[in-house]
Amino acid sequence: MSTAPVPWIKAALQSPQDLVACTLPQWEHLIHQARRANLLSRVAENLREHGLMPRVPPSPRAHLAAALVMAGAQKEAVEREVALLRTPLAKVDVDLVLLKGAAYLIAGLPAARGRVFSDIDILVPRHKLAVVEGALMLDGWSTTHHNPYDQRYYRQWMHELPPLQHNARRTVLDVHHAILPLTARLKPDSTKLLAASQPIAGEDRLRVLCPTDMVLHSATHLFHNEDLSQGLRDLADLDSLLRHFGQEPSFWDALTHRAVELDLARPLYYGLRYATRVLGTPVPAEARRQADMGRPSRLGIRLMDALYDRALQPVAPGGVGSRTPLSRQALYMRAHWLRMPPLLLAWHLSAKALRREENPRPGAA
Amino acid sequence: MIVADLSYRELEQRLAGPGLRLRTGPLVSLIRSRLPAVVRGISLLYAEYPTDDAGGFADFRVQVDRPRNLRRWLQPQAHFFSDGSVPFKPLPLDQAFPMLEWGLNWCVSSHCHQYLMFHAAVVEKSGRALILPAPPGSGKSTLCAGLVNRGWRLLSDELALIETGSGRVVPLPRPVSLKNASIDVIRVFAPGVAISRPVHDTAKGSVAHMRAPSDSVGRALETARPGWIVIPRYEAGLAAALIPLSRARGLMRMADNAFNYSVHGRGGYQVLAQIIDQCSCYEFGYGDLEEAAAVFNDLAA
Amino acid sequence: MFPSPQPRWHALPSDAFAWREWDGEIVVFNQKTGSTHLLGDLAGEVFRHLVAADRGATVDALAAGLADDSVAPCDEAWTRSVAEVLSEFARLGLAQPDTP
Repeated sequence: MSTAPVPWIKAALQSPQDLVACTLPQWEHLIHQARRANLLSRVAENLREHGLMPRVPPSPRAHLAAALVMAGAQKEAVEREVALLRTPLAKVDVDLVLLKGAAYLIAGLPAARGRVFSDIDILVPRHKLAVVEGALMLDGWSTTHHNPYDQRYYRQWMHELPPLQHNARRTVLDVHHAILPLTARLKPDSTKLLAASQPIAGEDRLRVLCPTDMVLHSATHLFHNEDLSQGLRDLADLDSLLRHFGQEPSFWDALTHRAVELDLARPLYYGLRYATRVLGTPVPAEARRQADMGRPSRLGIRLMDALYDRALQPVAPGGVGSRTPLSRQALYMRAHWLRMPPLLLAWHLSAKALRREENPRPGAA
Repeated sequence: MIVADLSYRELEQRLAGPGLRLRTGPLVSLIRSRLPAVVRGISLLYAEYPTDDAGGFADFRVQVDRPRNLRRWLQPQAHFFSDGSVPFKPLPLDQAFPMLEWGLNWCVSSHCHQYLMFHAAVVEKSGRALILPAPPGSGKSTLCAGLVNRGWRLLSDELALIETGSGRVVPLPRPVSLKNASIDVIRVFAPGVAISRPVHDTAKGSVAHMRAPSDSVGRALETARPGWIVIPRYEAGLAAALIPLSRARGLMRMADNAFNYSVHGRGGYQVLAQIIDQCSCYEFGYGDLEEAAAVFNDLAA
Repeated sequence: MFPSPQPRWHALPSDAFAWREWDGEIVVFNQKTGSTHLLGDLAGEVFRHLVAADRGATVDALAAGLADDSVAPCDEAWTRSVAEVLSEFARLGLAQPDTP
């Protein structure tokens, strides 16, 4: 097995049994690349599901086990957070529409397996943004990015409130009213997304985007996100969603039509192009043909290919830290809520100058 | 093969080229650097540590170097890289070795969730581990450096690694970091022990590292059963005294100093409870290192 | 006007938490919140009694039971303290009253 980026990711995600033959140097390369791409826990989960962990040599296996421990903890944290979000939103009669990782998890989709979570993303109607923000603040959420430029950046130019952080739990919430910035050329209509959203079975007032929209959002997020270091991880999400929903024959037609309807034909074109090239996602020929309607000029494709090659070898700063329950003192009982440490650790507190500033830009989930 | 088997030149070349695969306890770090301060530091402080050949598995790949582009001439600074992460701001070149140490600590505490990890020093005597959890400034590293020069085995000076199945402490013996006044204290306390040249004006003041005793390095694969949890506090002039701490409070203090307690959820609580079951817990104040060592030697007798 | 009957308070279901006692002090791990709590004296006793009460217990019953154990007068101040502990438990998710 070569150490080029494409073969390792394909094997790790689609045919983990091929990894069993890896030498220690190959495992070393795989672990390190997967970690950089924020896919280590995904790879680990795949190996575990196929019963292959015992066949991994002890040293690399320890890293896979560590990644699973972390992913498991984050999964529990997201579940807790979603449960706690329902109350403030119910108060203002707004359904909780989950996006991205939290959506995959609560809806029980394969894309959630072994996923790394950081923030929670939700979609609310634009006209309800103010009341939602108010309800959340009453519930203990505070805005971040206090300087006026950043506030304007988020509210006016981007498609969301500045990230909110819970005062006690320190979790971060991104409240979107659209899936692309207002300044983007493409203008998918959020009203349509919300109208087509679906309830999650067995959950009151919890919703997710419908399958075609979930896929389109993933493709759009992938190709409009400035932070390309997550590119491979986002592509893996897209691949998983396509494989899952694509089992339903009527899905593909609905997908290509919906893409046109939402003005997202271009991202869909790119999404299918890279998912098939990099991860071998099975896409029916007819769907590819229809998606071709969204193709850009040949120059555009070349530029995107070049950008994408860069995304496959992420060298940007490592994954976003996860934020979950923080320790807190109770009144006459010593209570102890403990936070998952951010990747930059609290013990550097005495040497704060050492630490890089965190870069909490949107789209990290 | 150990690091001292390489000539200085060979060490330099290996660090500048394919990297040095350094074994510390259960972990192997592939270290690359062209910086003299790093070569010197490794040569002095890691002399007796095993080094792997290529063909094995490195848990971490780290690099401490100047920037690769034109900035290298404008900014004589050291950068720490690990697997695409750049967790620290650049530092002056003379701080490159402490930066490597801080960086390796960052790697372990960020990734090694197969263990329950605490910010604590751990030393061992008579088959029992003494765990010293404490935030920076509590005098834990000085106490640790002192104890390992009075018959205690070093398991770690910063990061206590606990095996989740057995509840035993896994050694990660690395150079013991000393700050400011502690550097001279240890020079006097343990004359002749190898200490790196102090680096000044770091964010933590003056910093130096003391080489781990040979015995500790030699026994780096030998785990230990927890025996005592002691919260240290240094204060000039304080008479050395152990004050019993209830085990429940000891548990909460340990949790306070854990890196990944909540990551392990219920399992983490259960392992910590298992540790507490085996430990006597104390708070400990001291002002004199010799006195402190005597108290602990009595404890272990 | 009849006073409304007091609700019965219940500890969490047994799979939702774990607890240990060392030297009379109780530490509780709450699976649902991921929190770990060290309970002060009164809180520890309330907790212990609550866990032992299969069908839950009212504030008055708890206060009376605890007063017996600790040879304290079961007066209004005592009962109020117990009630405060219970509402703190509710806030932390360690116990809940029956919903009316």
